[in-house]
Amino acid sequence: MAEFTALLTAKAEWKPHQIAKAGDIATLANAASALADTVKSTLSLASAGMEVVKLLAMLQNINPLLIALEALADEVLKQIQDLKEAGYWYLYVDPYYEGNVSPTQKYNYGFEQLRNQAGDLIWSYKDGSGNWSDKTDGVWNSTPTLAKINSDDAKPHLASPRKLIPGGYDSSNPLVDPLRSSDDGGVSKFPTFTTKEVIKEFTKAFDDEGDVPRYKLVGEPSAAPKAGELVYDVDGNAYTGWDPKIDFGLELFDMGKASEDGSTVKNYVAARKALNNKVTPGKPNILGNTEYAGGSGAIAIIIASGNFNEFIDVFNKFSQMFSDIPEFSSSTGKNLLDALTEIITPNDVTVKLTQVDTKYQSFIVGDVIGGQKYLSLGKIKEIVEGSVVPTPMVGRKAVAKTDDVGMITTVMTDFNMNEIERWIDMEVVISPIRNLDGLNPWISGDMVVEMEERGTSGSTGDDVFPNYVMKGGDTTELPKELRIYPKVAIVAMEKLMVLPESTPPDFGGIQIKDIVPGWGEFFQLLENFVLQLKGMISDSASFVQDMIDMIKQVEAFLEYMIKLIDEFLKFFQITLPSQGVYALYIPNQPDGNEGIKQQLSTATGIPDLGYAAGILFVGTEGDKLIAGGGSKNPIDLLALVLGLLS
Amino acid sequence: MAEENNWHEAEIRRDDIKKLLENTKKLAGMYSEIMEVKRESWENVLRAKIKKAEKEKQNG
Repeated sequence: MAEFTALLTAKAEWKPHQIAKAGDIATLANAASALADTVKSTLSLASAGMEVVKLLAMLQNINPLLIALEALADEVLKQIQDLKEAGYWYLYVDPYYEGNVSPTQKYNYGFEQLRNQAGDLIWSYKDGSGNWSDKTDGVWNSTPTLAKINSDDAKPHLASPRKLIPGGYDSSNPLVDPLRSSDDGGVSKFPTFTTKEVIKEFTKAFDDEGDVPRYKLVGEPSAAPKAGELVYDVDGNAYTGWDPKIDFGLELFDMGKASEDGSTVKNYVAARKALNNKVTPGKPNILGNTEYAGGSGAIAIIIASGNFNEFIDVFNKFSQMFSDIPEFSSSTGKNLLDALTEIITPNDVTVKLTQVDTKYQSFIVGDVIGGQKYLSLGKIKEIVEGSVVPTPMVGRKAVAKTDDVGMITTVMTDFNMNEIERWIDMEVVISPIRNLDGLNPWISGDMVVEMEERGTSGSTGDDVFPNYVMKGGDTTELPKELRIYPKVAIVAMEKLMVLPESTPPDFGGIQIKDIVPGWGEFFQLLENFVLQLKGMISDSASFVQDMIDMIKQVEAFLEYMIKLIDEFLKFFQITLPSQGVYALYIPNQPDGNEGIKQQLSTATGIPDLGYAAGILFVGTEGDKLIAGGGSKNPIDLLALVLGLLS
Repeated sequence: MAEENNWHEAEIRRDDIKKLLENTKKLAGMYSEIMEVKRESWENVLRAKIKKAEKEKQNG
């Protein structure tokens, strides 16, 4: 329940993103850039160094290689620059990991209605004499009509004593079984968030009027231009209405195109100072205007499945692939797979049970037990060795004693109420089972009873889970000899457990953050080495030996780097399986946010699956041509690199 | 162009990172070759120096 409550205040927000500028990918890009820079600077050194040692002939032999290397270094630098300049907004809709939207609860609490062995709901019918029985027209458990229920001729056979459960009897919708397939709207063990709901979040995020970019003044108001003076946007265009005390919706500078006078200010971009900086990015906008009618495009990706296991598998791969999105960054603590695995396979708990009544048999490994009041549920995995002892049950009783003169006195004495050791204590290790309302705790004093399966919840395959009810729950109203009694105990307390080791990510088995550390430092070292050499080229034997040693180090490092890149490439060679990944590409179009919203709501082709999360990238048209010169919108570049363009 | 304006199942790739990594790898490989040539050159120089020094020693 707690997990739902925590999500109620959550909200998906727009955030800015630039590939190669965020998260682990940024570290990688910086390392690549450092290598390219170092290569370029050492190339010029190569000529100088070689000249000193009169090795011109050999240098000439490798000249074409040097030229090619320089060109490649330039290409790497350009590619990084392009990726850094291509900026997007992204909206991440995640009901599960970061939890920024609330999954809908698909159940109501209601009294438990009995179910037969097949899991069908049991109904009672009134016969002509006014007596109730679970049979009508010779057929057991047939569902009545609504008219029969309304006229009190049929009613649900509720468990006795009454028990409030999630997915219990709903008087406002009595005929529909809450445990019907989750594809038909039935309850599910896992919080469901459908593809339609993700799309709704996507479109809703364009409607938040308050979600506009906000910039705050940098420094003291006294240092900024005075109110009423001209200020300039990032493109150098002038604006009136400036007031240092007010927050504005776009980035402003003290100089612009009009400030260039050819003498003092030759280049306004180099000379200007920023007046404010961004506090919130706001929804997609052009120069602060969110109602723009200019070019914009979008890429929406939805991960969805009707099966939670499948969903987390794809979602995990997706998150690994997009580790440059901060929400997916592996540095944010518990990784996504761990978080989701915990939903499916929660950690074991040890529960101390007391007053296990052996008259109804003792618990054994494999028994499913459940709390009567707090609805905890779990399967006994182990009975802790040495923990099974008779329950100490000390009673007090009055004992009459007759003394020598015949006087009777009554004294109170302790006595063992559990002399025949009918009740025992035991510690059991339990694998918790998710209830429809999540994982419920084992509360001291709650009665736990043996449970049995009656029906299932979910849809198909791995998503189908047994529905557990108290064993013999449908016999409590029968004569004593016909009743079936479950094993029973009282929860004494739950013991703190040491958490098991977390599961490392299994996809590719490698993460950028694991391979990049040390690169930055190495390139720094290399650069310093190059600088030192520039000033001390000599042909002394010790210098030559140092040079050889250093080159050997560089070679070893490059070899190591190539090996790591190969490892990492293996990861990116794998494309996400198309199954479970849905994409919608809205190329640059002229109607701004409204146009994207419109296309998002009308696009078809995605089934409404029960578990979904998604990310929406939006790019707005700029001044420069990008994506190979074919577009001015970085979204088209993104579509290209994500493989959405054929 | 892919099925625009409608959802479709897609095999998402990260060609941006892939290309960057491939280029970086190529860069590292080529740079490594240059380093090898340079190292061999310096080793030649060192050998020549040692030889020269030994010759001078022999000649007294």
